[in-house]
Amino acid sequence: MIGDVASVRGARRVPGGDWGRALGHAARAVLVLVLILIVVQSLIVVRARPQDLVTGIHGMADIIRRATPPDFSKFRTELWPALETIDIAIFGTIAGVILAVPLAVLAAANVTPSRILYYAARSVIGFARAVPDLVWALFFVTAVGLGPFPGGLALAVHSIGMLGRLFAETIEHMDMAPIDALALTGARRVQIFTHGIVPSVLPALLGISLYRLDENIRSSLVLGFVGAGGIGFQLLTAMELFQYREVSLLLIITFVIVLAAERLSAILREKLA
Amino acid sequence: MLNVRGLSLRYPTGKLALADFSITARAGELVIVLGGNGSGKTTLLRCITRTLTPTAGEVWINDVNLTRLNGEKLRRARLALASISQHAALVRRRSVVANVATGALGHHGNAWTALGGLPRVELAAAHRYLEQVGLGALATQRAGTLSGGQAQRVAIARALAQRPRVLLADEPVASLDPEAAEEIMRLLRRLAREDNLVVLCVLHQVELAYAYADRVVGIRGGGVVFDVPRAEVSREAVRRLYMSEAA
Repeated sequence: MIGDVASVRGARRVPGGDWGRALGHAARAVLVLVLILIVVQSLIVVRARPQDLVTGIHGMADIIRRATPPDFSKFRTELWPALETIDIAIFGTIAGVILAVPLAVLAAANVTPSRILYYAARSVIGFARAVPDLVWALFFVTAVGLGPFPGGLALAVHSIGMLGRLFAETIEHMDMAPIDALALTGARRVQIFTHGIVPSVLPALLGISLYRLDENIRSSLVLGFVGAGGIGFQLLTAMELFQYREVSLLLIITFVIVLAAERLSAILREKLA
Repeated sequence: MLNVRGLSLRYPTGKLALADFSITARAGELVIVLGGNGSGKTTLLRCITRTLTPTAGEVWINDVNLTRLNGEKLRRARLALASISQHAALVRRRSVVANVATGALGHHGNAWTALGGLPRVELAAAHRYLEQVGLGALATQRAGTLSGGQAQRVAIARALAQRPRVLLADEPVASLDPEAAEEIMRLLRRLAREDNLVVLCVLHQVELAYAYADRVVGIRGGGVVFDVPRAEVSREAVRRLYMSEAA
């Protein structure tokens, strides 16, 4: 009798009774096992050898010793590549914004003029985003040659993908009541866009663009490694020539640029909020 | 004059939302439409503005049949028809006066307005409309900083900027406190009288209808139940409007 009551209580606690509980435990065990297997296979694939970090510590110490003190005598010559890096990002961001805005309008489900244009715009945005900016840089270096211009183009195209998606989402989440009210006044489609949609989403779009500029400055540093100009190119050259003191100077300049861009972008975004 | 003749709307689901609805409202008249939820009040206004296309019937504004028009002709004809709703629907980040002036955009098809500019003449007019609704002092303030009652008055000023012959109001006081609601109703009645507008207003607040309407129209199941001057409205008839269909 007591056993019967216990089994009824157990059945109430877990749907399906003891079988259900056992299945639950088994599922959890399988999940843990799968997670362990994922971690182990990643360690094998990347050939992780933590002991190499210990044995390589002398090599790292040697590089740090050879990189100090930074070679500040080259500071003036590094200013131009630093400016190039910043301008690659500015060019890429502005061109990206200019191209992303019309695409975003077409790719926003609530304001797109047609479904065909919607899917076409979504495809362009998706493709521009799916290809990494480094690959775009390689492509444009081949097309227009070495220098900062291919870097700017690479960032512009990749920014279309990132900004286009975020802009479209912002437009899709906007309050449509003022837009509907404007449409009812007899305003034309283009007037509804400039007087209703633009002022409603402009602060959000500016905030996203500033964040993108911050990201693009980081990216433009790396693009130099594939010949797309800027401080990255100087960094690669200095490393190949074992000029470690110049490398450390370039890293300091990089650090200052990234930090300054991040802070400036954050301050401006805060003011727009 | 607004003349609605035999307006019907059947949704694709088969539900009849408006059934042979007819009503005439003259210039200078405030007509209030009363009815329960789902009675067809908002559908009526949407059919009048042609946001919804009625399955039968006609909507005339003076001598123009709106139901016969499409495209650019419909857009031009709609200029005579301004709407306000429960929510003021202002662009929050723009100034009050700019919001009002956007009501006149339909009259201007030039590049300046297409690029986001507002005609100087409309900005000057917008100041006058704001004075008319008692908000002249708030012209340069951001629309997002206004109270609900103030925002609704700005929406009315925007409707006036459209220079309409008919003003449709869909529950314009639903989200306002009683004092602000009275203010809006006084304003609508004054605009009907002084600007010689047809004002057709859908309301849930029966007492406001008793206080401000020139005529009261009762709607139930998409059809007209009564259409009488305010003095002849029977409280029993109004009570029956709000009884459930089952009762």
